[in-house]
Amino acid sequence: MPADSMPAEIRPTKAAARAAAMPWHELVLLAFVAAELLFFDVTGRRFLTGDNLANILRHSTELGLLALAMMPVILTGGIDLSIGSLLGLSTVLFGKMVDEGGLSPLCAGVITFLAGAAAGGLNALLIGALRLPPLIVTLGTYSLFRGLAEALTKGTEIYSRFPPYFLAFGNSRIGPLPAQGWILAAAAILFWILVHKTVLGRCWRAIGYSPEGAAHAGIAVKTRVATAYIIAGAVSALAAIVYTARVAQGRADAGAGYELAAITAVVLGGSSIFGGSGSVPGTVLGVAAIALLSNGLGRIPAAMGVSRELAGMMTGALLLAALSASALARMASERRARRT
Amino acid sequence: MAAPLLQLDHIAKSFGAVRALRGVTFDLLPGEVHALAGENGAGKSTLINVIAGVHRPDSGSLLIDGRPIDRLTPAQAREMGIATVHQQPALFPDLTVSENIALALEPPDGLRRIDWKERHERAVQLLHRAGAAIDPRRGAGELSMPEQQLVEIAKALGAGARILILDEPTASLTRKETELLHGVLTDLKARGAGIIYISHRLHEIFAMADRVTVLRDGESIASFPTAETDEASLVRLMVGRETASSYPALACTAGGKMLSVTNLTCDRSRIRNISFDVSRGEVFGIAGLIGAGRTELARTLFGITPADRGEIVIDGKLARIRSLREAIDLGIGYLPEDRRRHGIVQKMSIAANITMALHPRIFPFGFIQPRRERALAESYMRQLAIKAPSPETLCGALSGGNQQKAALSRWLATDPKVLILDEPSQGVDVGAKAEMHNIIRELAAKGVAIILISSDLSEVLGASDRIGVMRSGEMAQIFERKDADADSLMRAALPARGRTVS
Amino acid sequence: MNQWSREIWVASVLAALLALLAVFAPAFYAPMPLLSRCSEQAPALIMTVGMALLIIARQIDVSVGSQFAVCAVIAGTLTAAKAPLVIAVATAIAAGGAMGALNGLLVAGLGLPSIVVTLATMATWEQALRLFQQGRFVALPEGTQWWGLGQTMGQWTLIAAACLITAAFAVAMKHTSGGRRVYAVGSDAESALLAGIDPRKTVFRLFILMGLLAGLAAALNIVRSPQVDPKAGLGLELKVIAAVVVGGVAVSGGRGSVWGASVGLLLLATINPALTYLHVDAYWEKATQGVVILAALIADSLKRRTHAGR
Repeated sequence: MPADSMPAEIRPTKAAARAAAMPWHELVLLAFVAAELLFFDVTGRRFLTGDNLANILRHSTELGLLALAMMPVILTGGIDLSIGSLLGLSTVLFGKMVDEGGLSPLCAGVITFLAGAAAGGLNALLIGALRLPPLIVTLGTYSLFRGLAEALTKGTEIYSRFPPYFLAFGNSRIGPLPAQGWILAAAAILFWILVHKTVLGRCWRAIGYSPEGAAHAGIAVKTRVATAYIIAGAVSALAAIVYTARVAQGRADAGAGYELAAITAVVLGGSSIFGGSGSVPGTVLGVAAIALLSNGLGRIPAAMGVSRELAGMMTGALLLAALSASALARMASERRARRT
Repeated sequence: MAAPLLQLDHIAKSFGAVRALRGVTFDLLPGEVHALAGENGAGKSTLINVIAGVHRPDSGSLLIDGRPIDRLTPAQAREMGIATVHQQPALFPDLTVSENIALALEPPDGLRRIDWKERHERAVQLLHRAGAAIDPRRGAGELSMPEQQLVEIAKALGAGARILILDEPTASLTRKETELLHGVLTDLKARGAGIIYISHRLHEIFAMADRVTVLRDGESIASFPTAETDEASLVRLMVGRETASSYPALACTAGGKMLSVTNLTCDRSRIRNISFDVSRGEVFGIAGLIGAGRTELARTLFGITPADRGEIVIDGKLARIRSLREAIDLGIGYLPEDRRRHGIVQKMSIAANITMALHPRIFPFGFIQPRRERALAESYMRQLAIKAPSPETLCGALSGGNQQKAALSRWLATDPKVLILDEPSQGVDVGAKAEMHNIIRELAAKGVAIILISSDLSEVLGASDRIGVMRSGEMAQIFERKDADADSLMRAALPARGRTVS
Repeated sequence: MNQWSREIWVASVLAALLALLAVFAPAFYAPMPLLSRCSEQAPALIMTVGMALLIIARQIDVSVGSQFAVCAVIAGTLTAAKAPLVIAVATAIAAGGAMGALNGLLVAGLGLPSIVVTLATMATWEQALRLFQQGRFVALPEGTQWWGLGQTMGQWTLIAAACLITAAFAVAMKHTSGGRRVYAVGSDAESALLAGIDPRKTVFRLFILMGLLAGLAAALNIVRSPQVDPKAGLGLELKVIAAVVVGGVAVSGGRGSVWGASVGLLLLATINPALTYLHVDAYWEKATQGVVILAALIADSLKRRTHAGR
C-alpha cells in the first residue's frame, strides 16, 4: 500500500506543518533588530528618540524601496545589479528635467518613473527574450546606466535647483512619519499584496523554485519574470525621486553601492538567493536591521567619523554571515534527512 | 572459485521519503557478466550509483576485493577500477572526444604537459577496441547518443576497468553496434574483469550474462545462473505478480473522435509525419524505444515545441497550438515524464501545485483566494486518495505515487479533453501504480481521450485500447489491443536494421 | 578554425578600430603615450587571465577590484617602510591569495552563489580599506618607481611580465590536463564529478589563483607612480569581467580562451582612447563599456540561436 512507502518518522504531521508555517526567520530577525535597538540605545547618544527614529526612516526610504524592488527579482531566482546605477541615472534625468528643462516635479517625476520602467524593460528584454543570465546582463546595465548618468552630467554637474515645495516634501513630517516614510509604507503594503496575495507573486515563487516546472504548468515564465524587472526599474526611479527630494541634488554618483545593501536586506530578510522563498515583511525587517546599524554606529562616540565605513563593512559581513548561516542550516538538514 | 571483486550486503538507501533501496545483496566475480533485472523504479540506477560512489548507502556494507569500503567517493571508485557507462552518457560537450578520454585516464596532476600525439593515438586505439569508428578530434557535443556511449566504453577500457557497469548499453545501439559490444565484453571477461549488465531486454540477459540478480521494489529477490532459469520465470520474479492482474478490465466505450493528428512534423524535435486519432473515452498507448520521439510528440502536442507542419483537430475544431498556454486553453493536459523537474514544484504546497495551471480560470482578478484553492485541493485529495496531512503540505514531502497523483490532479482540475500521460507509473510503487491505472480507466469512462506513453510494455498492453509504436521520430505502426503482444510491439519499435533480433 | 571564430572576430574588430585610428587619429600611435597606455593595462591583463579561468569554470569574482586595492596598499605600505621588494611583493600576493581563499571557501565549501559572495567581500574589503586608510595615498620612497629601471625600461618590463603570465596561462589552459579540468568543471560539474574531478576543489583553487593574480597585479602596479592610490582598484572588476565576456568566454561556462579574453581587454582598452581621439567625450567611458558588454552578450545569444535553428 502506498502509505507504507513513506517511513513513519518522516511522514509529515500536522504539528510539523504548523511549525514549518511559522515565520521563524522573521522572528529571529525581529529579535536581532530589537537587540540592535537595545545595544545602540545603551552605547549611542540620543539614539532612541522620536526625532532620530524618524531620521532613520527618512534616510532608509530609498534603500527600502530598492530592497522591495529587488525582492521579487530574487524571488524568481534572478538578480538585478543595475538598480543602484538606475537610481543615479534617474536622479540625473529628473534633476535635468526640473533644473534645466524647467518641468514641474510632478511631470518630471512621471517621466522619470516611466523611464525607470523602460530601463527595467531593457533588462527584462535581454534576460527574457535573449535568454541571457541576469547576473551578467544587469552587470552590463549597471555599467551602462551609471555611465549614462556620468555622460549626462559630464561627470561633475550637479542639479540642485528644485522648487521649495518639492524639497520640503523630502524633509517634512506628515503625522508621526516623515513624508517619504508614508511612501515606503505604502510600497511595502503594495509589495506584500503583490508577493503574497496575487497570482503574480505565486508565479514568481514557482518560477524561482523551478522554472521548468512552472513552464510545464502553463505559467508564462518570460512575461512574469519581465514584470519583476520592469517593476524593479520603476521603483528604483521612484526611489531616485525620493532621494532627490531629500538631498536636494541630482547627481551621477547617487545610489552607488545601494544594490549591495538592497541584496543584503533581502537575503537578511530570509529570501533564498536561489529563488522561490522569501517574504516582504522579512525584507522590511532586513532593511531595518541595516538602517539601524548605519545610524546607530554614527551615534556611538567611539565610531564617530568612521561610522559609514564601519557600517559598510558590517553590511558586507552581515550578508556573508546570513548566507553562511542559511547554507549551513541547509547542509545540516540535508545531513539529517540522509540519516533518517 | 575466485574471490568476488565486489560484494554488497543489505545495502539500503532513501531519498527523502522515497526508499529507493531496501536491502540489496549482490556479488560480482572476476570474469563474469552479472545482469541486474528489474522493472523501472526497482532500484537499479540507485544501486549502480552506490557502486560508483555517487550515492552513499544509508546502511549495509560494500566490499571491494574483500576489503570493506566505508565512504566510497566517485574518484575512489574510479581508482579501484570501477567504471560506469550510463544510459545518458556523461561526456563534456565542449571538449573533444580525445580530451574526454584523456580526462578520464590521466592523473590529476594539473601542470603536466599534454602529449597530444600520444593522446590521439590512445584515443584511436581505445575507440577501435570499443568497436567505434569515431574521429577523436570531433567535439563530444556533436556525437549521437550511441556514439557517446561507445566513447564511454572506450574510456572504461582505457581506465583498465575491472568492474564495468553497463546501464542499458543497448537501449540505443544498432544491431551491429550491439554485436561489437558483445565482442568487447567477451574480451574484457577474458581479462578477468567483472561486468554488471543492466538491460530491459531479457533475451540479451540470457545471451550475455552468466548470472542474473532480480531487483524488485529496492530489494534483491533472487540470484541464480542464467542457465538455470527462463524468461517467463524471470518476468514473474521481476513483476512479483501475474502481469495482467494489476490492470482493470478493459471497457472500451469509445465515442466520437476527440483528437486527430495528421502529418504532424516538428523539425526541432525530429518527429515527422505523425498521424493518429484518439476517441472520447479511449486510451491510446504509445510504445517505442528511448529516443524514438514519444516524449517529443507529447511536447509538440502540448505546445512546448510547436509543430512546423501538420494538422491537429480537437473535438472537431482545427487547433493551432503555438504555446503551452494555448494547449491548456484548448483542453490538453500533459503529465510530464520527469515528475521531479517538470511535473510538480517540489517546494510548493499540494494546493498551489494543483491550481497552478488554472490561475486565470479560478482567480479571475489575479488575487489568490485561499479558501477556494483549499477546497479544490481537498476535493482532489479525496478523489485520488492523496495521502497527506493537509493541502498545505509541500509536494516534496510526499512519496512518489502521491506526488504523481498531485501532478495528475493539476490536469484533472483543468477539466481536460485530451490528457497525455508520459510514463505515469515511473518511480512509483506497485500499489500506487495499480491506483494510477484505475484512475486512468475512470477518466476514460468520463470521456477524456488519453494518450499513455510508457516504456513498460506490459503497462502499454494492459492499459491501452489501441497502441501506436514510434520508431525514429515516426509513427511506425498502430495496433488494436487484441492484435498486439510484447513481441509484435518490440518488433515494430526496433530500427529497421535491428529488426531481425527476436 | 570554428573553435577560434569568436577570437578572430574580436581581433578583427580591434584591427578595424586600430586602422580607423591610423587614418583619422595617427597621434594615437605616438610611441610614448602608446607605451604608457599599454603598461597601464598590464595589471588589468594579469587579472583578466584569472577572471577568464573563473568564468570558464562558471564562476565570477566581483571582489577583484577591492582585492587589488587592498594588496596595492599593503605592498605600498611595506615598501614605504623600507621592506625589501621581494617581501612587499610576496606579502601582497599572499594577501590576495588569502582573500581569494575566503571567497573560495564560501563558494565551494558552502555552495553559495559566487556573485553574492564576492559582492559582499567586495564591499567588506573596500570599506575596511577606507576605514584604515581614510583615503590617504601611500607615498613611496625615491627609486621605487619603475624599480629604478627608468620609465621606458620599466614600462617594457611591466608589459613583458603581464604578457608572459598571460601566455603561460593560455598555453596551460590549452595544453595541460589541469586546464582541461577547468573547462570540464565549467562545462558540466555533474559529469566532472562522475569523471572523478572534484569541482569544488577546482573552484576553490581558482578563487585562490584569482586572488594571487590580483595581488601580483597590484604589487606590479604600484611602481607606475610615486604613490599608491587606495581607490585605484575601483571599478576594475567590471573592466576585467567586460574584457572576458567581450573576448568570447561564455558566461554559462566551459567555453572561451585566455587568448580571447586578452584580446577583449585590448579592444576595451583601445575603445576609450579611440573615443577621445575621435573627439567623443571621455564621460562616455563607462556607458561605452556597458554597451560593449551588452553587445557582446547579444551577439553571442543571436549566434547561438541561429546555430540552434539550423
